[in-house]
Amino acid sequence: MSATRSGNSRPARKKAVPTAKGAAPTWNPNLVVFACNWCSYAGADTAGVSRIQHQPYFRLIRVMCSGRIQPGFVLRAFEKGADGVLVSGCHFGDCHYVNGNERAVEQFKKTMDVVKLLGIDEGRLRLEWISAAEGARFAQVINEFTDQVRALGPSPLSNGRQAADVPAVKGVAIDG
Amino acid sequence: MDAGRHPLIDVVTNAEVIGCSGEPGAFRVRVRKNPRYVREDLCVACGLCVDACPQVGGNEFDVGLKARKAIHRPFPQSVPAAYAVDRDACLNLLGFLSEKQRKRLEKMRKVKQRKQGDYRAAPILVCGHCSDACDVDAIDFDMRPEEFEVDAGAILVAVGFREFDARKLGNYGYGRFPDVVTSLELERMLNASGVTQGHVIRPSDRKTPERIVFVQCVGARGEGGRGYCSRFCCMNAVKDSMLVRQHDPEVQDITILYTDLRAFGKGFDDFVKRSHDEQSARYVRGRPAKIEHVAETGTLEVFVENTLAHEQTRIEADMVVLSVAAAPNDGAAELAETLGIELDRYGFIARKDPAVSAVETSRDGVYVAGSAVGPQVIPDCVSQASAAAARAQRYLTGHRFEEEAVPVEPMDLSGPPRVGVLVCHCGVNIAGVLDVEELAAYAGTLPDVAVAQTHLFACSSTGQDELVELIRDHGVNRIVVAACTPRTHEPIFKETCARIGFNPYLLEMVNIRDQCSWVHAKHAVEAQTKARALIRMGIAKARHLSPLHEGEVPMTRSALIVGGGIAGIAAATDLAVQGLPVTLVEKTDRLGGRLAQPNLKLLYPTMRSAQEVLDEKIKRLKKSGARILLNTEVEGVTGFVGNFEAKLAGAVDERLAVGAIILAFGADLYEPGTEYGYRNRDNVVTSEELERAFFGDADTVDIEAFCARPDGAEPKSASFILCVGSRDPEGFSGCSRYCCPTAIKQAMELCRRGIDTTVFYRDIRTISTGAEEMYREARGMGVLFVRIPPGDKPEIVGKKRAEGVRCYDDLLGREIEVPTDLIVLSVGMKPRQPATDSFHDMLKASVDLSGYFLERHPELAPVETAVEGVFLAGTVQGPKDIVDTVAQASAAAAKASVLLAFDKVKLDPMIAGVSREQCRACGACVDICPFHAPELVEENGVVAARINGSLCKGCGTCGSWCPSGAITCEHFTDRQVHAMIDAFFEPEPCSDVRVAVEGQVVT
Ligand code: FES
Repeated sequence: MSATRSGNSRPARKKAVPTAKGAAPTWNPNLVVFACNWCSYAGADTAGVSRIQHQPYFRLIRVMCSGRIQPGFVLRAFEKGADGVLVSGCHFGDCHYVNGNERAVEQFKKTMDVVKLLGIDEGRLRLEWISAAEGARFAQVINEFTDQVRALGPSPLSNGRQAADVPAVKGVAIDG
Repeated sequence: MDAGRHPLIDVVTNAEVIGCSGEPGAFRVRVRKNPRYVREDLCVACGLCVDACPQVGGNEFDVGLKARKAIHRPFPQSVPAAYAVDRDACLNLLGFLSEKQRKRLEKMRKVKQRKQGDYRAAPILVCGHCSDACDVDAIDFDMRPEEFEVDAGAILVAVGFREFDARKLGNYGYGRFPDVVTSLELERMLNASGVTQGHVIRPSDRKTPERIVFVQCVGARGEGGRGYCSRFCCMNAVKDSMLVRQHDPEVQDITILYTDLRAFGKGFDDFVKRSHDEQSARYVRGRPAKIEHVAETGTLEVFVENTLAHEQTRIEADMVVLSVAAAPNDGAAELAETLGIELDRYGFIARKDPAVSAVETSRDGVYVAGSAVGPQVIPDCVSQASAAAARAQRYLTGHRFEEEAVPVEPMDLSGPPRVGVLVCHCGVNIAGVLDVEELAAYAGTLPDVAVAQTHLFACSSTGQDELVELIRDHGVNRIVVAACTPRTHEPIFKETCARIGFNPYLLEMVNIRDQCSWVHAKHAVEAQTKARALIRMGIAKARHLSPLHEGEVPMTRSALIVGGGIAGIAAATDLAVQGLPVTLVEKTDRLGGRLAQPNLKLLYPTMRSAQEVLDEKIKRLKKSGARILLNTEVEGVTGFVGNFEAKLAGAVDERLAVGAIILAFGADLYEPGTEYGYRNRDNVVTSEELERAFFGDADTVDIEAFCARPDGAEPKSASFILCVGSRDPEGFSGCSRYCCPTAIKQAMELCRRGIDTTVFYRDIRTISTGAEEMYREARGMGVLFVRIPPGDKPEIVGKKRAEGVRCYDDLLGREIEVPTDLIVLSVGMKPRQPATDSFHDMLKASVDLSGYFLERHPELAPVETAVEGVFLAGTVQGPKDIVDTVAQASAAAAKASVLLAFDKVKLDPMIAGVSREQCRACGACVDICPFHAPELVEENGVVAARINGSLCKGCGTCGSWCPSGAITCEHFTDRQVHAMIDAFFEPEPCSDVRVAVEGQVVT
């Protein structure tokens, strides 16, 4: 099965080129970003309000506090084929729920141990604190992380999925 | 943001108060609203007009560092979100035109008017780019200033401050040299979403400056005619220097030129220490004489006398940052006149007596908060604002807001999920990048989706109507709105759902604007893919949503105040005047705590008698109708917000049911023990003991006897040692705030009696209103101030009696010895024990590292604790002086009264719940929850955790912590999150071929 990235129904501005076997030069990772409602999700919104452009290969999942982000979430994302997972929350002292982010760190450490055990490169999992005002930082973190994971190549668990978000259904590769 | 959304708050921007009549409880205020030329009700803040606008104007928010279009949004988080037209820059508005052009245009308009006979004929527009670009026709150059009247029970002045105009100090070269900037300009650069995206640049060549010099106290502490201390600048400079270091490693060298480092707030001293440890800045004590520009190198030179090293130095710098002081805001004087309130000598709004009330102006019913009264730090501003609100409520009782309960029949939403999807164009905000129709069509192919539609502006009233129609016509029981961010718009959609009886928790929002079309505009293809994925994930979550219902618990509408000192008195009075039953419990047999005789004689800086102030406060308290219980203690507290039960013992013996508790039992003074020979030398006393001595025989104070020499001779000299028990790395590392001004006050008193007085200090922190002036006065009187290095402690000379003080004089640069007949130790504060520990145990409210009660958030929630319904007033939260204590007490009262205004506590249903079957009663959740919501309870012989819905805040941390997966976090359940993850990677089969289009690859 060789699925490549495809365009969409609009006149494709960037046509996907079916690449030969092996590493595609334009390989883009699938990233899952977990964000807390009060800081990092708000930071992503701030990036929007200020129109700070960043790479579009991540999907953000909102929870109320980074303390909610349990190892199971991260591991499930990897299991399903994520090439990288970013966990984000408020800076220390800023958590809306006093110290949820301190718990998040502990959870993160546990998760990291399992991730390493599974043979997943630790560069695929990252923890960042981003405040509601730090739109630029959000964009920067996303860009850095995307590049970092891109350099690592597809995750060993991604089943050869090659491009961001390309499902293969009934023999047809459809974007989205 | 929250204020803008609040149903009971009308925000009128661009407006000024032009008249005020009436009396407290019934003011009539005339307001003039100046036109912004954009209709707030229509503007969707899309920003198209900005792109179209050809005209560039000034930019006060980015302090001139970045150009701004004539039509603009004042700043990204502004409320209202609508754009505004800059009167001075827009081509259509006369402000921009030259005299000649203006005349011509006027003439043309007159002609037009005459022809059309209409006084308000549409003006001739020179430029119409923005109105053409606007999709919703929000731009309206016909707007005129509007005047209207507002009925108000009370008026609250919060006009803030303006920065001191550093141009007035010519020697600093601000305005002449581009590389001399103000702290505010630096702040804008450091802001990640600001002008330079967080990079510090030198304005002259936009390069990173390698050497930066901060100059403190610009326009403060005697400079530029302003005697006061601006309070926030020291910490701001320390913080900025650290930020600059973190952000730009190219910055090699930062120097801070200071006089005293005033790190007086909670945790501030630790912060400064960190800055020292990290060597983020070099601290030089001195005020620059002048700053000069060196033409050859293009750099600056700061001429300063280093007062510790005793040398004139020249510091080369690439950029100089002036920490400018706060000055009264423009228009404050006119406003004060309109409102009939007094100003102080600097032009700030004056308060009647800050020790009585921190927010009362000279006119009844008019209150003031924040930096309008003089420079303030944020936590104090927030406390004062709440305090002002508390005082204002006095005139608002009777106007209390009654919730209108329009009962709606809940819709039957049972059965398998049928999802309705609404995709928003948001004008071109979304549709300009994404193919919205295609998104809706795609959504329509996903499982369980009954209907998918699009709308031009989903949040508009027609969009809401469409949502209602969609629910009714298609019998859907889940809604997914793909539009902007749920943080701002979810309430709107939820409200619409609730209005028609559709459970609002069955709605899920997908953010395809702020986090997709706006940030991936250059990657339309990828953005489309992302939007589809996000919608798919949203639908997946929606399919697993379940209806939630807001719970309620009854609220006992009464409050318990623990402690009868000034804080307790102030809090109790503020609550009781609103007609709420208040019980004040005091352990001793009298009210007043530290203010009562014989503890404190005069209050600085007004020099009013403490007793007089106290009497006034007690009189108010008695009149308020609060129940006062002396000789009574609280033995135990159980329950939770709205339903506490306190066991009182002492004068009465009862169980008291209350809805809220305010802790106001104060702090203890530090006990010096053998330090400085306090125990074994007679003439070493604490500041408290000295204060008591001032109460001799009324006027003829017997201070002489107090420090008489053994040989009977008159005492000639006295010494004060500051920071005893404060700023001590081994003990309390913070600043006790009250001791500097108190010591100065006492020193002046002794000085007046002809005693030579010397004060040994590390930094003089006279931060409160009027204290800096008092400091200067004391110097003028001849009180000697000796600065000792921060790490040192002065040594006491003499065996049995203290005969002198020996120390290293930082300013003279050598060891000195000052003979003395009396040594006064200015003792700091420490948490009161055992009260702090016992209330910590009973209420589970946390304490900080220094042992004081911990506020929920230093800026956002300075008087709340993590325990709902428990508030802090005064020094239980940390050292502060009387003015700050009173302000905080009123703030605590205000916060409590918000809770007590209702007879029920509404419970958010998006909280955690425990499955008793799965729970193994390990107690992990009990240990980690900062709000103490979970507890282990036994039921039918089985122990399991239970979560108290009125304490749970819904963060979900326990859910992720629970080792047995027994905890469900509503609205963010494992299942829902998993469904989202799965939907990202395992798209549902798409039966519809419409989505299989160009660009796809067949395997
Ligand atoms: S709320 Fe953001 S980390 Fe807790």
